Amino acid sequence: MEKIKEEIRQIAREALTGKKVDIILAWEKGPLWYDSYPAFFTKEEEVDSLTWDSFCINNLSKYLLEETMADKKVGVFVKGCDALAFNQMMQDNRIRRDNVVVYGLPCPGMIDPDKVRAKRLNRGLTEVKQSGDELIFVTKDGEITVPAHEVYYDKCLYCHYPNPVVYDQLIGEKVAAETALDRSERFSQVEALEALSAEERFAYWDSQFSKCMRCFACRNVCPACSCERCTFDDDDLDILGKAREDSEDQFFHLIRAYHVVGRCIDCGECSRVCPQDIPLEKLNRKLIKDINALYGEYQAGLDPSTKAPLVTYQLEDADSFTAGEKGGKGT
Amino acid sequence: MKKIAKDQLALLWEKIDQNYQLFLPIAKEKAVNFSTWKEGAEVDLDALRTVNSPKNIIFPQTETYLTFKKEGKKLGLEVVSRDEEYVVFGVRPCDVASFKLLDNVFLGEPVDKFYEENRQKGLIISQACLNPEETCFCNAFAINPESAPVGADVATWDLGDLLLWEAQSEKGKAFTEALSDLLEDVSEDDRKKLDEVKAGIKDKLEDLPLVHVAPEKIEGGLKEIFASEVWDELYQRCLGCGMCTYVCPTCHCYDLKDYNGNGCGERFRCWDSCMFSDFTMMAHGNPRTTQKERVRQRFMHKLVYYPNNYESYACVGCGRCTERCPVRLDIVKVIKKLGGERNEL
Repeated sequence: MEKIKEEIRQIAREALTGKKVDIILAWEKGPLWYDSYPAFFTKEEEVDSLTWDSFCINNLSKYLLEETMADKKVGVFVKGCDALAFNQMMQDNRIRRDNVVVYGLPCPGMIDPDKVRAKRLNRGLTEVKQSGDELIFVTKDGEITVPAHEVYYDKCLYCHYPNPVVYDQLIGEKVAAETALDRSERFSQVEALEALSAEERFAYWDSQFSKCMRCFACRNVCPACSCERCTFDDDDLDILGKAREDSEDQFFHLIRAYHVVGRCIDCGECSRVCPQDIPLEKLNRKLIKDINALYGEYQAGLDPSTKAPLVTYQLEDADSFTAGEKGGKGT
Repeated sequence: MKKIAKDQLALLWEKIDQNYQLFLPIAKEKAVNFSTWKEGAEVDLDALRTVNSPKNIIFPQTETYLTFKKEGKKLGLEVVSRDEEYVVFGVRPCDVASFKLLDNVFLGEPVDKFYEENRQKGLIISQACLNPEETCFCNAFAINPESAPVGADVATWDLGDLLLWEAQSEKGKAFTEALSDLLEDVSEDDRKKLDEVKAGIKDKLEDLPLVHVAPEKIEGGLKEIFASEVWDELYQRCLGCGMCTYVCPTCHCYDLKDYNGNGCGERFRCWDSCMFSDFTMMAHGNPRTTQKERVRQRFMHKLVYYPNNYESYACVGCGRCTERCPVRLDIVKVIKKLGGERNEL
């Protein structure tokens, strides 16, 4: 990744000096080992602080919403999941493609700081280096080598698209697309919930949603949540109050999940940012699983030229109103 | 000074629970938060910091003030108040310090009667931090994590098998007295061990990566900092969620709302966030129309406006925003960007 980082910096410098773009969206490193965050570069000399490491988890496509709409020419670096997000936003007509130069970055996987802390590898940690399938944790007392899959985010272990599906320029070599975990297992946790009775399932989600603080981080980080103004933010409509009230927490999460049906790329950002560890990915995957069952296998963000299942109609579509048909109470 | 063996703590919880609502750091799956203790609860005294700060107890996220009901042509109003006295056990020194910052706001004239009642009904038991983490920077605000913090009725230290216990306030002394059958006097050895552990903290603090944070090094007055160019860059990555304000122990902005049912309802106070687009919305619109202005407001409040009013920063260095912000726009980066960093210790 160190080599790629230099390459990225060079590309960014050239794009800025050659006026190919007005702004570069990439990442920068803060004072702590896990502290890589989105950064906006407009001057060549700023690019020295640009980073690319195993903590560049943030999806920069989301920022294109404002930046390209402001009629700026933007260069953006995308990982595999970020590229799916890019395509999904394209399909939703939320990005001006002509205004963007997409630099694709094959992604080896990103490290979950919580897993590092759980292994107590964070004490005195200064840096993490990648070496093939292993990670080297550099601490004040020496180096510890750990198999990468032990500390990567779960979502990375299921990731089938580490190589960007859209780009103008690809940087570095593509990585193997085999997933560390069986991809169909994504749905095993959903199946466990489906096996519960309706009362048990309600109790499960009731307990999960009761942890919600309604900080809206899940919504704001989501690339499918791209409305200019979210209906929940409209004070005049008074759809959602500000009280912490179980019914309102449930209402918010269900509406959010349903609004991204067929558009959720399963990047897992909502679960990652949730301070209360609400497993929102299970909710999203339930809906992905249903879409797959009702309309055939579908991966949102794979191809922006196709129509999403819920925005097209075909005569042979599942009909939940007819007994015996797929979907709804008919099954 | 008293002590209790840690394997006896369940008895202590039970005893306190008889007379008070008892809040403890309790794990629910991965998230540890202050919640009401029930038998069998998974108490986690090792978790350095809870996801939510304990401000939720003295200043709840949602708090009903009064209920109203239409009775013929009249409107019946009933003020709601907290009924039970409560104990919060395991409040870290940074969070204890945050209570004082909230007191400055709510107990100054005019006194907020609801908050005052919440404070009076509570008893605060602190737990010293003997293993500060990488995201901790309380020392930047002159907080000593190993100490018995001012504002705690009882201070405790976890020495592995033992919990040392020192009553500080009159309230804390009476409370300790009532628990005398479970607490015993400490020995000279225990005191010695505590002194050793405390002495070791200084080195640990100096080893922390955020030890150089120094807000007092920020130069310039209100107007210069407000007009600074750093805001043009800092705000860019902000997603506009309210997580930083909600997990923050010192953020205290709120909104008042009515829940209007059919002929009856409730008036409640609820946390608000300056990160939200409808924050301080008025009849003429919103005074802060861009995220830049909102981000600037949050940090100006913590580092300039609040200190101007109360001679203290509105941050205690707990590290919650440092750990949780989805895009790592935490107060450490803002302080440093404004020049609040020292080279030497």
